[in-house]
Amino acid sequence: MKISLNWLKEYIDLDGISNEEIINTLTVSGLEVDDVIDQSQQFENIVVGYVKEKKTHPNADKLSLCIVNDGTEDYSVVCGAPNVDAGQTIAFAKVGAIIPDGGFKITKAKIRGEHSYGMICSEKELGISGNRDGILVLDEKLKAGTPISDALGLNDVIIEIDITPNRADAFSHFGIARDLSATLNRPIKNIELCLSESEKNSTDLAEVVIENAEDCPRYVAKVVENVEIKESPKWLKKKLTNIGLRPRNNVVDVTNFILHELGQPLHAFDLDHLAGRKIIVKSANEKSKFTTLDSKEREMQNTDLMICDAEKPVAIAGVMGGENSEVTTDTKNILIESAYFRPSAIRKTAKKLGLSTDSSIRFERGCNPDITVFAAQRAAQLIAELSGGSVAKGEIDVYPNVIEKKVIELRHERLLKILGYNITKEVVNNSLTNLGLEIIECDDTKIKVVVPNFRHDLEREIDLIEEVARVNGYNKIPAVERIRITLEEKVDQSDYVENLRNNFVSLGFNEIVTNSLLNTKTAMEFGEGIAVLNPQSAEMTHSRTSLIPGMLSTVSKNIKVNEKNLRLFEIGHIFNKNHKGDIASFEDFTESENLLFALTGNAVESNWYSKEDKYDFYHLKGFVSEIIRTLSIKNKVQESYIIDDKFFNFAVEINYKSAVIGKGGKLKADILAEFDINQEVFAFDFNLSLLKAIEIEPPRFNELLKFPKVKRDFAFVLDKSIEAEKVMETIYGGSSKLLKSIKLFDIFESDSLGKDKKSLAFELEYYDFNNTLTEEDVDKDFRKAIEAVQIKLNAQLRGK
Amino acid sequence: MLEKIQTTEKNFKSDLSEVGDLNHLEELRIKYLGRKGLFAILFDEFKQLPNEEKPKYGQTLNRLKIQCQNEFNEIKSKFSETAEDDDKGIDLTLPGRSVNIGTKHILMQTLFQIKSIFKGLGFSVYEGPELESDYNNFEALNFPADHPARDMQDTFFVNENFLFRTHTSPVQVRLMKEKKPPIRAIIPGKVYRNEAISAKSYCLFHQVEGLYIDGNVSFAELKGTLVAFAKQFFGNDVKYRFRPSFFPFTEPSAEVDIWWQPKGKEGRWLEILGCGMVDPNVLENVGIDSEKYTGYAFGMGAERIAMLKYGIGDIRVFFDNDKRFLTQF
Repeated sequence: MKISLNWLKEYIDLDGISNEEIINTLTVSGLEVDDVIDQSQQFENIVVGYVKEKKTHPNADKLSLCIVNDGTEDYSVVCGAPNVDAGQTIAFAKVGAIIPDGGFKITKAKIRGEHSYGMICSEKELGISGNRDGILVLDEKLKAGTPISDALGLNDVIIEIDITPNRADAFSHFGIARDLSATLNRPIKNIELCLSESEKNSTDLAEVVIENAEDCPRYVAKVVENVEIKESPKWLKKKLTNIGLRPRNNVVDVTNFILHELGQPLHAFDLDHLAGRKIIVKSANEKSKFTTLDSKEREMQNTDLMICDAEKPVAIAGVMGGENSEVTTDTKNILIESAYFRPSAIRKTAKKLGLSTDSSIRFERGCNPDITVFAAQRAAQLIAELSGGSVAKGEIDVYPNVIEKKVIELRHERLLKILGYNITKEVVNNSLTNLGLEIIECDDTKIKVVVPNFRHDLEREIDLIEEVARVNGYNKIPAVERIRITLEEKVDQSDYVENLRNNFVSLGFNEIVTNSLLNTKTAMEFGEGIAVLNPQSAEMTHSRTSLIPGMLSTVSKNIKVNEKNLRLFEIGHIFNKNHKGDIASFEDFTESENLLFALTGNAVESNWYSKEDKYDFYHLKGFVSEIIRTLSIKNKVQESYIIDDKFFNFAVEINYKSAVIGKGGKLKADILAEFDINQEVFAFDFNLSLLKAIEIEPPRFNELLKFPKVKRDFAFVLDKSIEAEKVMETIYGGSSKLLKSIKLFDIFESDSLGKDKKSLAFELEYYDFNNTLTEEDVDKDFRKAIEAVQIKLNAQLRGK
Repeated sequence: MLEKIQTTEKNFKSDLSEVGDLNHLEELRIKYLGRKGLFAILFDEFKQLPNEEKPKYGQTLNRLKIQCQNEFNEIKSKFSETAEDDDKGIDLTLPGRSVNIGTKHILMQTLFQIKSIFKGLGFSVYEGPELESDYNNFEALNFPADHPARDMQDTFFVNENFLFRTHTSPVQVRLMKEKKPPIRAIIPGKVYRNEAISAKSYCLFHQVEGLYIDGNVSFAELKGTLVAFAKQFFGNDVKYRFRPSFFPFTEPSAEVDIWWQPKGKEGRWLEILGCGMVDPNVLENVGIDSEKYTGYAFGMGAERIAMLKYGIGDIRVFFDNDKRFLTQF
């Protein structure tokens, strides 16, 4: 909401307080100032000037050479406007001025060979209108040298305030003044009414009927006859334009003025266009059509409240008037509506129509039912003054559903408990009184206050506590220097993931964070996505069903900027429906926390000591094994292998009991192509929700070996189709418990070995916890292992 | 005996002449000069000799051992010199072999820093789901249906009853329902806002919320705790202010600004967090007696704070994950 400081000062004396202090006071009392425009600041170095002389520019027919006086000195100025002439009083931008429209700075210039020390401005250049037809010629009575902001009355400060949803009371100049009066402890200037009314009774000229009293508790109508619709006077137009409103005519401008002065939205109807001179407030007919002031046809529902005449709807209550009863230049008699509507009813309608107006945003937060009559009277008085009309006597005030003022009790002890500092009862009482609350009971422990109807937000004791704290300033509340720490059980649910994150970082991975919303196609390709009812764009219609798409988008973007060697991971939630139906409970979908890591490009880059080496499946598998080891679940999970599934050419899967807790491998080229990637990508996805659930025993210390290890190695030639794991199983099978580990240290394929043959070389490690092994013991075992492999796998021992 | 001594001498010399490297030399030392080496055996035998024969061999044996030891040392020092010769040509200016430690995403680092400070102040850390019920996200937190407060947080809805959480407060609701006071927790996590993506806003961000419920928790204690946080996070001389604001789930509510003045630029107040005393309605909604217990809550966005702290002007850069960005932090 925009507030004019000049206007505000009509209701409160702010003398002796700098603009900065006022702005700060507003902000620290909960009326957050978003922006401040000091009109005079943008006219710095622009003054009233007098054109002493004008002659044609010697080198350009269309330019003139003027001598401009600023009250003290003469300046030579080149001007391009055809209407400039000697003897004019004009707006003169001196060297150093910044032109409001366009923001360029005036400097000394040489134009077609002639020096120019400034510029004579047009209205457009001053930013006060779109008029660019020549320079602005001012009233000749203005004294040269006067700042242009004063000359034009553009010396206001416009303050943009962000009104929180609870503060309907502050949604006007008077409301802000009232709040400032409490925080600054200065009196508010009340608005005087000097209404002169005709002999005719309002009630004889029109009639009001409320059919829906729940949504419309009060409706006040006032009639003004014989008005002449015309332009508003300057003072009114300026007030409105300063806060960003477009002046229309004297009647509409007055209603807008009252809205911004008192916060009470008004509507003016052309009384002669109201059939039967009657207002009926009732719910709309389902699916009826209505054309609003902005010439748009809108479809109404039976939950919308309408203002109707004897025959038809004429306005959407509290939101916008209708085209059919609008005040026009032909209007003679008007009916001013000043009503109180139920906030949630207006909100529902405004939201459904997507129509948020100055009127609706006030009604939906809650206006003041007790100001309706005063607002109507003040509007009538002003309209009569500005249009020559006569105000009919009295109001039509229909108030079937009286809004009672609330009475709240405030315990002093409770206030001290919540705020945690000592505040005297006098200060409390004074603060609440300044806010317009009435103290009706007061004893040692508590007070009872009546809340005026403009403070809908004050309903409970806690609301009063907040008001006391707010008005006195939060900076008065001390920050304690000691805090209590409770000795409850300490939990860190993020620990597990934080450890994993640290491990991946130490393994050289860069962590990424990607969008959790995907387009429909991608979401459904990777799972059973959950649709967003109101997506922001077609690219973000579903929850992500996997971390793979986000990873691949990231890989793709990085390759495009020539970052082709990547080792990335992401930890995040994924969401999948458990069935095709709608989501009615948490049972209908699964949200899990996952960790995806990916490898692409070179594992080792070419360097003075190394050749480049691409990532392959075994890099991926190595990381998986190491992570599983660090999680202490190595002995609890099984590995299995998959060839050619939906996403992977080949993959390794980690299983715990019957659940897949991790899976990954080489991503298929067609998947990569969707993300415009044409290099191999290896990716592995851990389901952390499942992983975390695996119970782990705390690690136990293993005695360190006291006896030496004995190593033996051998190599076999065998069929290429025999998997390494099979060979190792056979070795273990043929050995005693002395064999503790096997390392595959060489794989060799060559025609010299025979067709479809390969050589595998292993190193075997033997030891005994209790004794030093003898050569004989080991040789015996080793021979048995050789035999097992030879016989069971039809292998041939190499070398020895 | 003499014969044995002479053979040992001869073998030692021929073995020594064939030594190729330091390892080999060491093997040789163990073979001849070691504790159980050939010379040791000879000395053992010597000890067994009748006393009258001892002088005859003693001298020879000792002389031989010293001689061998000397020859051995000579060869050893020769070898050592050759090894040192290899070191002479080394180019110490070659770059070291590349080692890469990865990076935590800067948002995760920021969350971690915030979390660590509050853990030090005795807070536990809890997490919760991102796809939430309307009840946990709004209703229980005192956002009535059809109330303008709902407009403060543009929401991605799944349907009438489910949505992507707009703050981590639903975890507070879950926590307060499950646990009895005292509750002292912070809740980091991802939250969603239905806003157009621009330099200033993204459809999601990361939040840390805090909650403390106990007997006699006051606004002054909230202030003390947050001031302690601000000092640890932004530095001891941080300038701050608390100003009234509105959140449906707290009352009194406040926003905290800190004075931010990058070098050579004009200073200004910047909002870093929202906070307040937990609204009695919220406590009652989760079955906590609001007369007996009071509490405070606060919340802040990691993106906003990281942008401030690291001078990042465009929020989208966090989610672009350009390696050149990731590796800067």
